[in-house]
Amino acid sequence: MEKLMAEPRRAFQQPVSLPPAPDGRVKIAARGVDVFYDRFQALKGITLEIREKAITALIGPSGCGKSTFLRALNRMNDLVPGARLEGVIQIDGDDIYAPGLDVVALRKRVGMVFQAPNPFPMSVFDNIAYGPRVHGVRDKHQLAEIVESSLQRAALWDEVKDKLREPALALSGGQQQRLCIARVLAVEPEVVLMDEPCSALDPISTLRIEELMRVLRENYTIVIVTHNMQQAARVSDETGFFLMGELIEFGPSSGLFTTPRDRRTEDYITGRFG
Amino acid sequence: MHDMPEPRTREEPLVAPPAVGKLLPLVSPREGRRPEAPAGTRWGPWLAEKLVAINGLLVIIIVLLIFLFLLRDGLQTFRYVTVADFLGGRNWYPLSEEFGTLPLILGSLYVTLGAVAIAVPLGVACALYLAEVAPVMVSEALKPTIEVLAGIPSVVVGFIGLVVLTPAIREVFHLPTGLTGLTGSILLAFMALPTIISIAEDALVAVPKSYRPGALALGATRWQALRGVVAPAARSGIIAACMLGIGRAIGETMTVLMVTGNAAVLPKTLLQPLRTMTATIAQEMGETVQFSSHYFALFGIGLVLFLITFVINLAADVALHRMAGRQR
Repeated sequence: MEKLMAEPRRAFQQPVSLPPAPDGRVKIAARGVDVFYDRFQALKGITLEIREKAITALIGPSGCGKSTFLRALNRMNDLVPGARLEGVIQIDGDDIYAPGLDVVALRKRVGMVFQAPNPFPMSVFDNIAYGPRVHGVRDKHQLAEIVESSLQRAALWDEVKDKLREPALALSGGQQQRLCIARVLAVEPEVVLMDEPCSALDPISTLRIEELMRVLRENYTIVIVTHNMQQAARVSDETGFFLMGELIEFGPSSGLFTTPRDRRTEDYITGRFG
Repeated sequence: MHDMPEPRTREEPLVAPPAVGKLLPLVSPREGRRPEAPAGTRWGPWLAEKLVAINGLLVIIIVLLIFLFLLRDGLQTFRYVTVADFLGGRNWYPLSEEFGTLPLILGSLYVTLGAVAIAVPLGVACALYLAEVAPVMVSEALKPTIEVLAGIPSVVVGFIGLVVLTPAIREVFHLPTGLTGLTGSILLAFMALPTIISIAEDALVAVPKSYRPGALALGATRWQALRGVVAPAARSGIIAACMLGIGRAIGETMTVLMVTGNAAVLPKTLLQPLRTMTATIAQEMGETVQFSSHYFALFGIGLVLFLITFVINLAADVALHRMAGRQR
């Protein structure tokens, strides 16, 4: 162990574009979170804090529980039959698993972007306007404004401003994923969860989404699950490493990727397994 | 069949012109495989292809012949009665040579519309329940059961209607008789429901799974996700399901013959006995003298029925295509 600490492996060149990890206030706090799918325990005693207006990356091999933890944050696991959670998850100090909590209101605050782009089979405009409409916005001008500003924030406006009435499914994969991000932004969330948002995309589209994440970080708390460690190192402020349902290590990405404290983290980020 | 190789050699240049074959030898597997493949192996596909083509053509020819036969005999009607009197006449007294089919057309229309009004909302709601709400166990048990209902012979449905529904209708609405248009509508709806439910459910299940979490993650309720995203995505399938159900209802004969009372009078409400076009043909065809005016008039009704069904199918088809075009 001492030997490892003495010569830290430089797994990846840390890009310098990001400011140091913010000391922002805690947005999401998880304490002793266990998640079960029927008998199988997918998460074991996860405790971590996610900072406001920062990008937090969750990494780990397949089946390690990182996506389960992400879906616990907007209660999408509720949709899985037999899923059960113990422990506490707080957002801004409110327990999101408190009895009687309005899940719909929670999901409005905590938006989610999925692994594969999943635009609805309707026009670009209607895709973005879907969320606001669901939440009661009826005024046409207001909807048009929301659609434009959401697409602009998702860096898609210039590409689709002449195609608003065309089917969203006609866009390219990368455009579709940015459309899905815009769709989430249109409901004005505080937190954006991204579940491997680039895994179905080509490198150029991936780059654009990463650029977009850096911009969104100004206003949103972002949690991203990724298989791509370079991506985690490039974009995130803090990183958590999951293994077999446990959180092995959590800390500023600059430290975790250069001087991991745990042997298993080091083995993973240097590519010995996973 | 003995001259099989003949048409093939004649056809081959069409399938793979030499020039194309030379430039892109892989484009035509038939051409490329020819030298080494034994002659026998290519007969199977050739035969299958031709059989399918012949069958397809045969079906089209038969349908055309039926239509021509219907047209020939149906149009004879107008030697005895004008088109306006035939379609607009209020009296159907074939023995007195009065062939006004308006009561029959309206009768069919009333009964069918009544059936649609009952079956479409119920069927779509049931499909939504099975596809989206019911636990897997329940929907897996219910769906085959519902599909079995489609196999009940229409005579049996009519009989159940006579025994169970007719007295009930009479009591509930305080009518002199329970043999009414409404009775027919309810039974037709019952017969169309399995088709509508089964096909609409298939359409809903075929909607990509990713749409639901996508909508829910935006803060939509389950109902909003269902109504705003899932159901519209399955729209063309649901419409097709309704059209097929209506198709079944409009052509159904035996059930309506048994329970609608068969009074060829102009129907004012669904709560009175009425008579449909199909029931008229079924009931009277056996009693007419062949090639008499009555005989031709019944074919005339058949022609009208055919045209109505044709227009409905055409409209459904156009609607479906327009929908598909817009979604893509």
